[in-house]
Amino acid sequence: MTLTYFLTMLISGLRLGSVYALIAVGYAMVYGILRLINFAHGDIMTLGVYFMIALMISLGLPFWATMIISVILSIAVGLIMERCAYRPLRSAAEETVLISSLAVSTILQNLMTMIWTAQRMPVKLPAWLSVANRIGPFTIKTISFVTFGVTAAALIILTIIIRKTRIGVAMRACSENRKAAMLMGININRVIMFTFAVGSALAALAGFMMSGDYGTVYPTLGFTPSLKAFCAAVIGGIGSLGGSVLGAFIIGIAEMLFAGLVPTNLTNYRDAFVFAAMIVILLFRPNGIFGKQEGGRS
Amino acid sequence: MTKLTKILALVLALVLALSLAACGAGGGNEPAPAPDDGSAPEQAAENTGTPLAEGEDIVVGGIFNVTGFQSPIDAPAQQAFALAIKQINENGGINGHMLKYVTYDGQTDQTVCANNATQLINTDGAIVIGGLSDSDYAYAAGAVAQAAGIPIVFSGATTPDIPEVNGNCSFMTAFGDNVCAEAAASYAYEELGARTAYVMIDNAMSYTTNLAQYFIDKFEELGGEIVLTDYSTTGDLDYSAQVQRYLANGEADIMFMSTGPDDASTVIQQFRQAGATAPMMSGDGWDSDLWGVAGDLANQDVYVATHYATSDDSPIVQNFIADYTEEYGYPPENAFAALGYDCMMVIAKAIEMCGDDITPANIRDNLEHIQGLECVTGTISYTPDNHVPAKTVVITQAVDGALSFLKNQA
Amino acid sequence: MSPLKFKDVPVLRFIAFIVIPLVILILAAGAPKSYITSLIVTIGMYSLLCASLNLVNGFSGMFSMGHAAFMCIGAYMTSFFTVAPNVLAAHCPGLPNFMIHTSLPYPIALILGGLAAAVVSLVIAFPVVRTKGHYLSVATLALIVIVGAVVDNEEQFTYGSRGLTGIPAQSTVWPVWIVLIVCLFIMYRLVHSAYGRGLKAMRDDPTAAQTLGINLVSKKLSIFAFSAFFAGVGGGLYAHYLTTISSAAFSFTRSFAIVEISIIGGMGSLSGSFLGAIFYTIVPSLLQNLENGMVLFGTRLPQLFGLANIIMAAFIIILIIFRRQGLMGNSEIILDTYFRKSTYTALFKKGEWAKIPRYFADIPVRISAWSASRKKLRMEKKAP
Repeated sequence: MTLTYFLTMLISGLRLGSVYALIAVGYAMVYGILRLINFAHGDIMTLGVYFMIALMISLGLPFWATMIISVILSIAVGLIMERCAYRPLRSAAEETVLISSLAVSTILQNLMTMIWTAQRMPVKLPAWLSVANRIGPFTIKTISFVTFGVTAAALIILTIIIRKTRIGVAMRACSENRKAAMLMGININRVIMFTFAVGSALAALAGFMMSGDYGTVYPTLGFTPSLKAFCAAVIGGIGSLGGSVLGAFIIGIAEMLFAGLVPTNLTNYRDAFVFAAMIVILLFRPNGIFGKQEGGRS
Repeated sequence: MTKLTKILALVLALVLALSLAACGAGGGNEPAPAPDDGSAPEQAAENTGTPLAEGEDIVVGGIFNVTGFQSPIDAPAQQAFALAIKQINENGGINGHMLKYVTYDGQTDQTVCANNATQLINTDGAIVIGGLSDSDYAYAAGAVAQAAGIPIVFSGATTPDIPEVNGNCSFMTAFGDNVCAEAAASYAYEELGARTAYVMIDNAMSYTTNLAQYFIDKFEELGGEIVLTDYSTTGDLDYSAQVQRYLANGEADIMFMSTGPDDASTVIQQFRQAGATAPMMSGDGWDSDLWGVAGDLANQDVYVATHYATSDDSPIVQNFIADYTEEYGYPPENAFAALGYDCMMVIAKAIEMCGDDITPANIRDNLEHIQGLECVTGTISYTPDNHVPAKTVVITQAVDGALSFLKNQA
Repeated sequence: MSPLKFKDVPVLRFIAFIVIPLVILILAAGAPKSYITSLIVTIGMYSLLCASLNLVNGFSGMFSMGHAAFMCIGAYMTSFFTVAPNVLAAHCPGLPNFMIHTSLPYPIALILGGLAAAVVSLVIAFPVVRTKGHYLSVATLALIVIVGAVVDNEEQFTYGSRGLTGIPAQSTVWPVWIVLIVCLFIMYRLVHSAYGRGLKAMRDDPTAAQTLGINLVSKKLSIFAFSAFFAGVGGGLYAHYLTTISSAAFSFTRSFAIVEISIIGGMGSLSGSFLGAIFYTIVPSLLQNLENGMVLFGTRLPQLFGLANIIMAAFIIILIIFRRQGLMGNSEIILDTYFRKSTYTALFKKGEWAKIPRYFADIPVRISAWSASRKKLRMEKKAP
């Protein structure tokens, strides 16, 4: 094994990590405010991509316009989902809402199958995005840089929103103690809707980056990556945005190195390895690496 | 809680346990199904039923996994199956009977498939069933059909031991994986001059696992060498680990990629983009949209051993493509559509051979005696000992958005 | 005198929960190949799986979603002892010799399958139960991935994704339902023992329970193992129903289905698993006809595959919005009928039989009382 090989794996890991990071940020935001593992997050991601394709094919709009419109449509779906399936359950136990999100995920997946069939659809990005750049012995696609950039930008913008703006303060208050926040006159519904809007927008963006990178979309595309992204958020310490991004990179790199370095007959243990690693990390840091001590059901 | 209650409860539990033991022991004495020593399939329960009355509809059941991860394969098969039935009915049915098509979604779930089979047979009165493209589901539904003595013809399942495991009511429309993989190996060794091979196996699917194993066996038997075997999982989007390991290991003469239809284009794209240049080859699972993700990269030395070539200009193939396109607005998505169509053609032939005496048992017997039936995917013949048609494997190459015919490999 | 309630009439309960189901089971067993029978067997298996999940989720306060993993272990272990030796020797040569060559009676094999699941669960549970809340749910989901990967990749033991075939079809009506009743009896005794009360104390307030001398870790580990045992038995039944198993049969979907059943029926009730399983099995099978393009008012609706799933999911959302505690809540009325002596002694008391006509005579009284209470509730809501 040469150093080049090792570095190639590392770069692949960084690429994978940046996709996970973008998903994980959205996941962690929603979880931070609502204590809800939103299983439908991955489906919003997929839906965003389908919106983009549909707009491109049927209306022939330019790339940037389809992206903006489909982000707006994804936000709309996210808000409808929140209004219909999560708000009525605001006071219910955590696991009841979890089931609700599973049901929403089922509905979205089946709707997508009915409308666009389960066949994989090609996703064609503008040529400048899918160019493969050769840097020394390595090949890196432009979209990988873009994904990296979008993740960093999302992280910075979100941090500014959460630290500096009124709604950000309200979000932090809600995530600390929802009841107390309500008593202080914070409009909880508005905060949660805002969270979902941002979460859905991030999901749609992550969908573009991911399916753009792999060139394909299908109704169940979002499930496994979003579960892994959730793992990443857990490892990083959910509720901490920086932590979830770091967790995503840890997972991406660990997964790649594992797949690349073990004997071939163990390659397929890579998903199992990611999840086992999560369990082990939770064993030593029950709240993740950067997580704060928190209550909740034990 | 009194002592009496405790004793009562214990006695109750004991009685239940014993009666269960009796049930279990009774069941245990039955002969184990499908011994794996190549003996003849077990006899079906004869389901002679009453022959259909004059003009009564023939109920044909369909089980397809039109939702869930099997749907890219099964949905086209289902559409083609339905198309075949529609055409038969438009031409006046079979022997004066119209066909009534009842289909249920197997949801890519063995339990649902098994229950669907039961429902089709007992509630809807299906006397013959078609469908299913993977052995996992074919075993589940086939066991039910076998118990009821209803013939079942699998459209796309290619695991050659299905009739052996299920029993004599199961028939396959497709050739076995062994035939396909052996043809691929022979072509690679003889025509492409490959002496070293790289094999990537998707071992989450029985089809791909079998296919790769048969390829390896045949290739080594011919004198070739497998330089590296790697593994992937269905639905993997990222093959960079496999790609890098392959490149680091040094290129082989041929890459045999045993993955499912969905992953094909992604595999091609990622291997070619990273600079792997050796010819790629795969089985019928790759008879799908290879160009969707990979674009022009799919036109570089990709070979597929499959059921038929769409470029085949025989009228039966071209008619099927034209009819399918007219019905659904797009050409057949993959070879499984053609197999779904053929599946119904086989069933129709068997019903036709029954004459006036249409019963499940007769259909089954006649299926066994179908000889030389011309279908879209080749000529189908069955014998009482062999329910897997010995069809010719067509070697094709990906050229400009279609698989073009290269050779009929026996 | 206040009107009689259903739960006060043991004889009626006996008829509703024992006699009628028994008649249905006998009829079903008489027609082993009918579709209804296969549904009844499915209901039995899902009831067992759901009840065993409730043991953890409803009574201990942990929220596990990894039931499919334990089912998988139980299914394979049971099958290793029931599949014919020649098949096993050909497909799973890596197994120890005694497993290949021993064929055990079905019930014993089931128990071994359950024990295997319980042992594995203990090993896994050490790290998993240390996690909290949602972390635990995700950690249990991770188990499914890990077990699935082992089954797919360790071909010398499991024949990989090609699946284990040739499993005898022994999960017919009687074996399934007898196993179900025996297991339910054990679970019922478990949650009504001192151990079970400790469990509920832990669920309601872990800190308070700890101060009362309840060892939380051992409670969590043990209930996890109990639950895994019954899940393993359920998996064994399931394997002998399908006759072919592979990791695909024990995916996330299966786990989610069991969790949904448990939510529908009511997590805090073992009896709820019956209702949940019936609901979850019957409703989709009715909806299937809709998918198939049924004829409505003379027009044939188009085939829309996936519609049943959507309607079912929407129904679950509506159900949990309007009845959060599930259909049964915390009530154990069905199992109380089965496993309490009073049900059976009541049959021999004259006064009890006489309650039946009184119960029916009271129906109008109860309806008016119910509507009055509704009205009062509405008035209270209007005028806060």
